[in-house]
Amino acid sequence: MQHLDEGMIHSWLDGALSADEAARVEAHVKECPQCAAAVAEARGFIAGASRILTALDNAPRGVIPVAAPKKRFDPLVWRVAATVLVVATASLMLLRDGGEKAQNATANTDSSGSAIGSSAVTGIAPAAPNADEAIKETAGPTSTTARPSRAAAESKSPTTKQDNVSVRASRPSVGSTEKGIARGVAADTVTGIQALAGAVSGVAHPGEKTSPASQPKITARENEAIVDQKSGVTTGNAPPSSGYAGAVAATPLAAASQVPPSTLKLRGVMSLDATRDQLKVVGTPRTFGAKVTLYEVAPGDTVTLREDLSLSLSAVVVTGAQAAQPRQSVEKSAATERAKRADTAVVSAADSQRPVEALRSPVRAPSVAAPISRVEVADGVTTIIWMDATTGNTLRLSGRMPEGRLRQIKIRIEQERTAAAAAKQNP
Amino acid sequence: MTDVERLFRTYNAALVRYLTRRLGDRDWAEEVAQETFVRALRQTSIQNERAWLFAVATNLVRDEARKDMRRRKHLALLAEEERDAMVEPEETTLERAQEAAMARKAIDALVEKDRLALLMREEGLDYNEIAEALELSPGSVGTTLSRARRRLVESYEALQKSQEEREKNAAS
Repeated sequence: MQHLDEGMIHSWLDGALSADEAARVEAHVKECPQCAAAVAEARGFIAGASRILTALDNAPRGVIPVAAPKKRFDPLVWRVAATVLVVATASLMLLRDGGEKAQNATANTDSSGSAIGSSAVTGIAPAAPNADEAIKETAGPTSTTARPSRAAAESKSPTTKQDNVSVRASRPSVGSTEKGIARGVAADTVTGIQALAGAVSGVAHPGEKTSPASQPKITARENEAIVDQKSGVTTGNAPPSSGYAGAVAATPLAAASQVPPSTLKLRGVMSLDATRDQLKVVGTPRTFGAKVTLYEVAPGDTVTLREDLSLSLSAVVVTGAQAAQPRQSVEKSAATERAKRADTAVVSAADSQRPVEALRSPVRAPSVAAPISRVEVADGVTTIIWMDATTGNTLRLSGRMPEGRLRQIKIRIEQERTAAAAAKQNP
Repeated sequence: MTDVERLFRTYNAALVRYLTRRLGDRDWAEEVAQETFVRALRQTSIQNERAWLFAVATNLVRDEARKDMRRRKHLALLAEEERDAMVEPEETTLERAQEAAMARKAIDALVEKDRLALLMREEGLDYNEIAEALELSPGSVGTTLSRARRRLVESYEALQKSQEEREKNAAS
């Protein structure tokens, strides 16, 4: 047997070995003087260590100050904080919803009001619903966030005035006040988009079918409207039939029937775009006050469509004064007032040809389409905001992609929404 | 008698002694021991009570030490200076204090694993319990303890020798 190592000796002395191992160690120690000496030394270390450790028991008190117990938040504080957070979030959503709608509605009202000024027959009907919408929404706070950089960039663009229908707003609308330029960008045609892109940035996208920026084609459904507040003269070289935001076709099909063949051809090209048939809903996360839909436009590439539901304070809270005042009279007076304030108007030929039944349709009738959209880019995320002509809800389509591609997706989504709405009405 | 009371009566003295030797402060040791028993309250079942209690106490000390190690080092230095400068009227008390100070230095010179294994063994934990508490293999506990004892004794004797030389120099 080899000599015992120190660990084995200590294990034996501590009684940690099995009976067999202990017997073997014991026998070896009896026969091996060297290991017997090591065992004796180990006994000394064990006794010495134990004595030294006993000396540690003479420890003073209070060498280390006792740490104060950590204060924990009272559960009541958490409850109050949670309540405040919920209320603040809900208020923010309601206010933002109201502000956005007021902005869109005001812009629409301006355009509708413009139509009234030049066409007594066709102007009243489209103005009414928009004015109703505006008066409803402007009841809430309409504070908006200024975006000076974008406004400045667009106002400085040398080609801004020559490419589109520009209308002087005698009264700055909420939307135009906010940006300096109320821009309704057409999404249905490539021409409109590219014309705008070329006008603003001065860079044309190669390989895409575009019209020269100086002669943009604006369809009746989707168009470009730039409102210059500084002057009061209507400018622009677009043909009258190209239309203005307030005078447009009701549905995409109707719009298609009114656009030039060249535009239709382009639209057909767009229909073959890669976005087609790849748009599928991958999620509908729950959100308060809005309907959110996630579309997958390409593998791993998604866009988010947020539809703010028509939930305003006035809709859920009815005060005594509101209850006493007839709602219809308010809407009517509001529409009349807005009609009076409109002193410049551009009316498209398409609008003048609109059927009388459609013009007399109730509030939010499909014939009052022409949603003016605007685009925001923040942190690489492009967002198109527009108002759905059918429901009147504000829609936000966001995605990390260029504006042009997002607009193509927007068209696809609109088509699907229209088809879904039609299917719902005629199951 | 509840389980906690039984645990407390069975292991508190050993745990406080172990912690006192480990920390050098009885108040702190008692505080950690109490926290250890509070943790035991939350446990539905404990396989090896003694190993579990010593392991938890060791971890509590370790976590606490991590939090404000700098502050504790500073305070320990102050306490050491205070002990060194302390003049007791009775010679026996002085001797005991010197022994305690040297023992503290000697135990602090050990690596953490050796120190804890030695302190646990002194409280009667067997090799398996020490292995469980310190997450060691049972076969390595003997080696760890032999190394710890040798180094502790040698370190203490070296301190004792230097102390005697200082006293001789002071006397001459």
